[in-house]
Amino acid sequence: MGERSEPSSSSSDRGSDGVRLMRERREPRRDSDASWRGVAALVVLAVVGAAVLPTLTSARPANEVPVGDVGTNATDPTAESWTAVPSVELALASAPSGLPGASNVSVQHAQVRAATNGSHVFVRVSWSDATADRNATDLREFADAVAVQFPENESARPPIAMGGTSNRVNVWYWAGGTTEELLAGGAGTTTAFNQSAVDAQAVHEGGEWHVAFAREAAMAGNRTDLSGEQDVDVAVAVWNGSYGERAGRKAVSEWQYLAMGPGPQGPPYETVLWTVAGLAVLFVAVVTIEGVRRTRGEPS
Amino acid sequence: MSTDDTAQEDTHVDIADGIDHQVAMVMDLNKCIGCQTCTVACKTLWTEGGGRDYMYWNNVETKPGEGYPKGWEDSGGGWKSDDHSERQPGEIPAKERYGGDWEFNHSEIMYDGSDEPLRPQNVDPEWGPNWDEDRGAGEYPNSYYFYLPRICNHCTHPSCVEACPRKALYKREEDGIVLVDRERCRGYRYCVEGCPYKKVYYNAAKKKSEKCIFCYPRIEGEGPDDAVHATACAEECPPQLRLVGYLDDEDGPIYKLVEEYEVALPLHPEFETVPNVYYIPPYAPPGHSEDGESIEGVDRIPRDYLEELFGDRVNQALDTIERHRDRVERGEDSELMELLQDKNPAQQYRLEVFDDG
Repeated sequence: MGERSEPSSSSSDRGSDGVRLMRERREPRRDSDASWRGVAALVVLAVVGAAVLPTLTSARPANEVPVGDVGTNATDPTAESWTAVPSVELALASAPSGLPGASNVSVQHAQVRAATNGSHVFVRVSWSDATADRNATDLREFADAVAVQFPENESARPPIAMGGTSNRVNVWYWAGGTTEELLAGGAGTTTAFNQSAVDAQAVHEGGEWHVAFAREAAMAGNRTDLSGEQDVDVAVAVWNGSYGERAGRKAVSEWQYLAMGPGPQGPPYETVLWTVAGLAVLFVAVVTIEGVRRTRGEPS
Repeated sequence: MSTDDTAQEDTHVDIADGIDHQVAMVMDLNKCIGCQTCTVACKTLWTEGGGRDYMYWNNVETKPGEGYPKGWEDSGGGWKSDDHSERQPGEIPAKERYGGDWEFNHSEIMYDGSDEPLRPQNVDPEWGPNWDEDRGAGEYPNSYYFYLPRICNHCTHPSCVEACPRKALYKREEDGIVLVDRERCRGYRYCVEGCPYKKVYYNAAKKKSEKCIFCYPRIEGEGPDDAVHATACAEECPPQLRLVGYLDDEDGPIYKLVEEYEVALPLHPEFETVPNVYYIPPYAPPGHSEDGESIEGVDRIPRDYLEELFGDRVNQALDTIERHRDRVERGEDSELMELLQDKNPAQQYRLEVFDDG
């Protein structure tokens, strides 16, 4: 800026360039008025930004899985309604385990989409796998599989590896065509519910699996309540059957959370944090500007 | 034991931690005629249909030979050392190495007057149980083979149990029988990899692992006539080559053969699982010369092959048996020879010695 902006700023009462204003020896009081009006505008901008920014996908907080709206039904993983649901790519890594070859897993990423239609919650997981291993009819065959894990009790985050004894996990498990709803309280404790409340449909196309799980949103007992009263932790695991992956030999994500709590932008503290951060930036900027003004202004 | 022939005092029996007693079996390989009656008895009782067709919880294989499943001795599993801290990686044998559950043209030949040879229908198999039966090794006139009946060894340090991430396999507290809890099993097959004897089988129809149960309902008194019976493989054996009882029954023949005379040996002790099935090693005649004369001091069955199967202790065991044979030949008494020839079922199957009533 500087020289080329001079003609316009010299004819204006309020310039955006504090340095320029100082140089033109404006009245200090009027300078202050103008700059504080500018600061006030920026504060408003920061607060509004804090509210709006997180809803933009590009600025999604780490570990959030947004929950979209799919209208009536999304049990079909290829349903058109899924295209409107934001996708989150999760990095997967081998789960710590003493099993042979546990550190050697083949899937590194999974795309997760979550949605609700009011009565049901849908979670769709997609990942690359060139071979569709649908069954384990041979002694050496293992089925491809995927699991979505939730805390049994939504308000506390269990240990990532299959939960803990006092903090169990609900697992929606699909393996080569069969779906199970499981409860686990630590590695090796997986137990199937007598009656599964979870449905899953899977499609393998273009070297990718797409598995859509569906469950009634509001449930109680040993089942995670997904009625939207709060955010719910979620993690996924993927097994490549033809790579010998099964049991604890699997590719897993870290804990994420389904952003289904009040407000579309996630938990309340998020807005507070964004506001505080915005104001802090603004404060530093204003202090810097004031500092420069005073330094430049003193000699005159 | 040393050359001492009498029972030693204070012999300590090492059974697994937390186990009250340990079932055990001794099979005298000198008596096995390879008739497969044990195999059929077991199959009829436990593994007919339901995804179990290819399984033989009891099998009899010709040694030297590839066995069942083919090449099981080189399929890994077991422990790296006798401190049982680290397991040896193992593999799941391919189905072809077990052989298929083929359909045969029995009824066409037996009832319809077909002249076709008896053979598997609609398949052209390349391997199966006993594919190399009676082949053995060596050159005429010193060719040799013997039969090796095999069941689960119900090991003191079962690597299948350790391999399972779900603890679905366990060693039963009352008698050390190794079982699969079918409620817990999720078909991961780490047990199949982990067993060096390949005596845990995967049932693809049930998606569970299954194995020899040492006929526990029979030894618990749920057998025919609601009476206590030895395992079906033992009772049905025509030459009655098996002793069934408890290793820690110090008055029984198993204890004496294993712990006192040390002539009954585990198969492949280097797998370090400490089996509870023991074998009296084959005592073969000496090698023959071209003109058919015995060559004293030359073993028909090479000792190094027997060492491969039963470890170095096989030498001492065979020496002990030979010494006792000589003793009986000279008209002297030998408790060991009596034990090996015993035809008293009450001694052969001692299954109620620990019943408190």
